[in-house]
Amino acid sequence: MNFFSPVRSVLSTIVYPIQTAASFPSDASKWMGEFFHDRKQLKEKNTQLEAINLSNSIRLQTLDDLERENMRLRELLGSSFRLHERVKVAEILAIDLDPFSQQVVIDKGERYGIFVGQPVLDATGVMGQVKQVSQFSSQVVLLTNPSHGIPVQVNRNGLRAVVTGRGLGKPLQLEHLPQNSDIRVGDLLVTSGLGGRFPVGYPVGRVMSVDSSSGQTFSDIKVEPAAKLATSREVLLVIAADSVEEIIRPELAGGDE
Amino acid sequence: MAVNKTAQGGGVIVLSIIVAALLTLIPLPDQVRLFRPEFVGLVLIYWTMATPHHIGISFSWCVGLLMDVMLGGTLGLLAFSYALIVYLVLQFHLQIRQYPMWQQALSVFTLVLLLQLLFVITESHGAGWRFWLPALSSMLIWPVMYTVLRSVRHTFHVR
Repeated sequence: MNFFSPVRSVLSTIVYPIQTAASFPSDASKWMGEFFHDRKQLKEKNTQLEAINLSNSIRLQTLDDLERENMRLRELLGSSFRLHERVKVAEILAIDLDPFSQQVVIDKGERYGIFVGQPVLDATGVMGQVKQVSQFSSQVVLLTNPSHGIPVQVNRNGLRAVVTGRGLGKPLQLEHLPQNSDIRVGDLLVTSGLGGRFPVGYPVGRVMSVDSSSGQTFSDIKVEPAAKLATSREVLLVIAADSVEEIIRPELAGGDE
Repeated sequence: MAVNKTAQGGGVIVLSIIVAALLTLIPLPDQVRLFRPEFVGLVLIYWTMATPHHIGISFSWCVGLLMDVMLGGTLGLLAFSYALIVYLVLQFHLQIRQYPMWQQALSVFTLVLLLQLLFVITESHGAGWRFWLPALSSMLIWPVMYTVLRSVRHTFHVR
């Protein structure tokens, strides 16, 4: 049903200059702001980042170890598991689309290997997925788009469900969970990887409220997105590794590197 | 000479539509972005009203198609909406020209409302009452748009 996909791709390449021009003022102001940072601010920021970097690298060391162990155990169990996704970094164009459609445009397109359905993350969680690619740019549907759903599981107990968008300024919704299901306020929801579109284990959001009033078939569960949907400028596009088999074999064979 | 003039007129019109498209895309603070008027629609309405022989239904359809792609909406929805609006203005341009400003603004309000109605019929987003704000802001900004575009038209002798 995608007869018009190529047409749209060509047309978006045509309108890309206008989109870039529209994002110019805010790009320029950002650039000016960076240019005129004073030395002291930069130094402070640098120290801050170094501290964050240090703590992150310490955590990464233990994570590496755990990851190996996890892979070996899964290998023993005979299950395949996607891990070690590679990512590409893209920037969101500073333009306003229709505020009700909950989409953004990023500055990487087909030329960088972006494809339709590719998961988009920011530093804190899942943002959405690529809806349309053209030569130089692509459109991303955010989680809050009313027609978007993402398969998730509760991190605490593995309960699976689907989170859907509810539009501008509204929280996400956890769909079709019966009244007696084990879910609490504050539960972290991560991607379940079912459906094969999103990689496993990335944070989607936290449960804000659970309303199980009698008379309703399902609980009314509101979810706050983990990603900073409104403020992020840089996004990560995930390229899923095919399966653990391809990665784990050379790594196990090569021993520790 | 006459050919040259027409070409220049077309250029000015296309340029004003591009500026309107930029205004549609430029990021605004959250408090005002919901009030963003339908700039491209307004520009199309003005040029159709003032110089009906320059703007055709197919031209506005093409503009709408490009806007659809730019805004990431359903392909063809804005194309159809703009074509419809321009058709209506073409039918009534002689009357609309004679209206006093407030009555013109009311007509603009109706036309933008019609455009938004088409959106509501075809797309399902939980937008609520805030969805209708652009019709209001388009009506309020119409006198400004009219004055600016008329001075542009007189400066560049678009007839």
